[in-house]
Amino acid sequence: MKEFLEIKDLKKSFGSGEARQDVLRGMNFTVKKGEFCVLLGPSGSGKSTLLNIIGGIDTPDEGYVSINGDKLEEMNEKELTLYRRKHLGYVFQMYNLIPNLNVKENIEVGAYLSDNPLDVEEVLTTLGLQDHKYKYPNQLSGGQQQRVSIGRAVVKNPDILMCDEPTGALDYKTSKEILALIEDCNKKYGNTVIMVTHNEAIRNMADHVIKLRDGVVRHNDINENKMTAMDLEW
Amino acid sequence: MRNPLIKRIPRELKSDWHKYLVIILFMVIMIGVISGMYVGHDSMLAAVYDGRESLNLEDGSFELSKKANAELLDGISSGEKADVKAYYINKGNKEADEEVAKAIDEKLNEQVTEAIEAGVRTQCAAYGITDEKTIQEQIDKAIEDSFDEALEKAKETEEYKKAVEDAYNEAHEEVIKKVDEEWDEVAERYNLNDDITPATVRIYEHFYREEAEDNNNDGVEDATVRIYKSDSEIDKASFNEGRAPEKDNEIAIDRMHADNVGIKLGDTITVGGKEFEVVGLISYVNYLTLHASNTDLMFDAFGFDVGMVTSEAFNRLRARVHYSYAYKYVNAPQTKVEQADYSESFLKSLITQTLVHDNEIEDYLPEYLRQASNFAISDIEGDSSATSILCYILIGVIALIFAIIISNTIDKEASVIGTLRASGYSRSELVVHYMSMPVIVTLLGAIIGNVLGYTVFNKLAVYLYYNSYSLPTCHVIWSDAALVKTTIIPLLLMFFINLFVIVKKLQLSPLRFLRHDLVKTRRAKAMRLPRWSFLRRFRLRILFQNMPNYLVLIFGVVFIELMLCFAFGLPDSLKHYAKEAHNMMFADYQYMLMDYLDEDGNVIETSEKSAERFSTTELLYPKKKSTMRTGMGSGGDESVTVYGIAKDSSFITLEKNTAHGVYISSAFAKKFEISEGDTITLNAEYENKSYTFDVIGITDYDGGIAAFLNVEDFNETFGKKAEEFSGYFSRNEITDIDEQYIATVITSEAITKVTNQLMHSMGKFMDVFKYALIVLSASLIYLLAKIIIERNENSISMVKILGFKNSEIGALYIVPTAIVVVLFSIISFFIGYRLMIWIFHAFLMQMDGYFAFFMSRESMVMSVVYMLIGYAFVSLVDFRRIKRIPLDVALKNIE
Repeated sequence: MKEFLEIKDLKKSFGSGEARQDVLRGMNFTVKKGEFCVLLGPSGSGKSTLLNIIGGIDTPDEGYVSINGDKLEEMNEKELTLYRRKHLGYVFQMYNLIPNLNVKENIEVGAYLSDNPLDVEEVLTTLGLQDHKYKYPNQLSGGQQQRVSIGRAVVKNPDILMCDEPTGALDYKTSKEILALIEDCNKKYGNTVIMVTHNEAIRNMADHVIKLRDGVVRHNDINENKMTAMDLEW
Repeated sequence: MRNPLIKRIPRELKSDWHKYLVIILFMVIMIGVISGMYVGHDSMLAAVYDGRESLNLEDGSFELSKKANAELLDGISSGEKADVKAYYINKGNKEADEEVAKAIDEKLNEQVTEAIEAGVRTQCAAYGITDEKTIQEQIDKAIEDSFDEALEKAKETEEYKKAVEDAYNEAHEEVIKKVDEEWDEVAERYNLNDDITPATVRIYEHFYREEAEDNNNDGVEDATVRIYKSDSEIDKASFNEGRAPEKDNEIAIDRMHADNVGIKLGDTITVGGKEFEVVGLISYVNYLTLHASNTDLMFDAFGFDVGMVTSEAFNRLRARVHYSYAYKYVNAPQTKVEQADYSESFLKSLITQTLVHDNEIEDYLPEYLRQASNFAISDIEGDSSATSILCYILIGVIALIFAIIISNTIDKEASVIGTLRASGYSRSELVVHYMSMPVIVTLLGAIIGNVLGYTVFNKLAVYLYYNSYSLPTCHVIWSDAALVKTTIIPLLLMFFINLFVIVKKLQLSPLRFLRHDLVKTRRAKAMRLPRWSFLRRFRLRILFQNMPNYLVLIFGVVFIELMLCFAFGLPDSLKHYAKEAHNMMFADYQYMLMDYLDEDGNVIETSEKSAERFSTTELLYPKKKSTMRTGMGSGGDESVTVYGIAKDSSFITLEKNTAHGVYISSAFAKKFEISEGDTITLNAEYENKSYTFDVIGITDYDGGIAAFLNVEDFNETFGKKAEEFSGYFSRNEITDIDEQYIATVITSEAITKVTNQLMHSMGKFMDVFKYALIVLSASLIYLLAKIIIERNENSISMVKILGFKNSEIGALYIVPTAIVVVLFSIISFFIGYRLMIWIFHAFLMQMDGYFAFFMSRESMVMSVVYMLIGYAFVSLVDFRRIKRIPLDVALKNIE
């Protein structure tokens, strides 16, 4: 696999003067195409900020993010929107589904953005949502809603699937199911997955584990002994 | 692939149907009514304008004191100025010739008599006759026998012939000299030296009589009817019902008047003491409103009527004939400027031709200044622009409500928006999405509204017009203005107001939406509140949180209060006017005479003891430039009646000496904001003369725009003879003056007829309008209060979980709105009241006369109460809504 995502000397701080807080203090790593990469770290380690910068919804103070050779800092707002539209899929801890669209339509919201979307019906089947496709979000459990949210991101067939604590609000069993789904998508569709989590157990299912603390990369490991999501225990 | 977000719109409409139903209904009614108004008004205007062509509307008319002879009519038709100078010289020469001839005859007689007497005395002396008596007898005899012969002989002499010629020449020279001397002043007065482009006209006899009309044949006069001949070629009538009179006992009368006083086709009425069967209900093209006189403040379709009878029936009527002539230009003027130029040229021709043909102008009015044929049109046009402004204000309010709804939706959907933006949805896609709802709702309102406008509401407009004016029958036509003003403009208004708010709202970064960080400038700390009770502070927080809603609410409340002031104030003003009518009269009866002399040249007297002579003249006070109508005549400037009041008058007291100033009526002072000590300049209508007066006092008289002078000062100022006067003030009816000498009689009844007409035209409409305003205010408050509660659903649910009772929660969330509504209903009333006074004054400046805006205390209270009735209903709905918020709302939304 060749280098797909490059993070170079990335710095970011919030506030000013005494209240200034350096969240990223010079971060460097690369991710290969199709890799399942997990960003691990405790609260305040800067992982969500990093994910937002990679996603083009936040900007670094210094350094750059390069995807397939294109530097995000050189893009204007329109180009960034286009970049997100064409290359990224987002899954958040909260599902943020549109309440008055049903399951299928929520997934179509993602498909609409893509030039080569996956077949919505196929995605629904993959995610086990066929029986629920005409239900509205408020008729679904948290796990089902997160599946829809993953479907919405995956259906775009994005180059990178960004997952921000996707199991943060879910119970153990449902969390494993969701992780298995993301794993399946990664395998089936070959998307690069970047997942932010504070759950150490998830590292075992990743190809690439980057551990952050105090705004810098503490460990940058390639996992040689990958486990499947369903084998994880925590 | 179609954007799947579109599917949200119908679902949103369905899930919140009551909110959108109120908005759509609001728009449908607004747009429907306005569309109906435009369609009705365009259809009506089309009918009116068609009528101007097909019914041969005059270009103007004039009335002469006696029937014009053929030469005069030819002269006027030519449009040429008559040679007034030559006329004066001729007239002067004629008079001089008579005087010279008389003087010569007297002198010659004297000389011949003296010569005969001298001859007789010489002969008597020769015969020695000395008795003077005998001599005188001889002289008388000689004069009798030979005077004529001697006179003839004397006239044959060269000396006599030369003397006569010299005398005539001298007299003619004197006449020319005198005319020359006075010509400049006369020419300046009538602008006779200006060159004119002759406006050739075709003249039509259009005589009329004004007869008493007795509607129910009870012997009491109910109205004055102006009767024309049915075979007139000019200013014809269209028939709303029935036909033209064919027999001598048939009459067709104005449809509006007939409606007002309850005359139907087939009824018999008494006109001029003769019974007529009503066979037609008509609309005269030059009487779309029944203005008896062009200076009337308002038309009077109760007390005044127009009608037609056959020529034979006309000739059998007894009231004096008004020698009125209508004219049409041979080459019609194409522009308004040309129209004014033509009428100015024509007037010069009319004045000079009438003068040289020894006739007098009683009245002159170009059609474009004629209230009776233009008032309805300009009022119909004014109506629609006023109503469309109302429509735009309301749509603006709806647009703001929409903006608040959308703004709240955006707040509520912040995470979804953040996710969509993070996923690659562009800002413009989301703007379009959030814009769709207001645009679709407006479009829906506009389509349904327009359909109703063309099918239902246009009838309402036409009904209102028929209820007010004497209009011809009309047919519905397509109206471009309706489409633009009821669809395009509301859509644009809705579009831009919402676009502005939504674009501003969606400017935040996706991250801030994801973090719910939606306030641009967040205060470092919450505003500190005084140490009030917890509940009071809680309410205050709700008030601050919903400030934009309350601002829109206040705007809407001010607007509705303005409308309520109108709905209550207009009938009140009319009632007040009617009630005060007797105070608006100098005297119970005011008789205006045609002339102070009767046919035989005797001064018109009365035996009525309370009668007191007065003099008047009409002058013009220039209005400000903002007036709608411009040009000569009564339309452009305010007509001011200047009175010459008798010394020690028992009707009007002028305390100060008016040698150097005038008193003006309080109406004049109020309308033009003139105070004591100011200087006013009044202009003569048809002469180039101006009079400047200092205002030395203000007389409490709201009945008209008037100025007062002592009669001596009046006569001196206006060059009147001491014995001249214009009419009588009287406390009792004057019965001993022949009707033919009376031009008009003004009584308080005549004034109240005006208000009756207005009450009839708009009374019912005002009642409906008031109830509509309650619904309007309730809808507006409903929408805004709903937003406030929706926005706080979570908090309400949470305080319910905490154990607050529904009544306590109601007190928390309803009371702030109640305080705002009650407080601003009162404040807005005062704002609306002041605004209404201002608008009324501005409106008044467009027309002649004075009419003060008045609101009774009861109406003032009611206009606030009506608003609160609307609110009371809404607060009940709100309380029910609060009760229905489930407890789990707060538990479910844990984000």
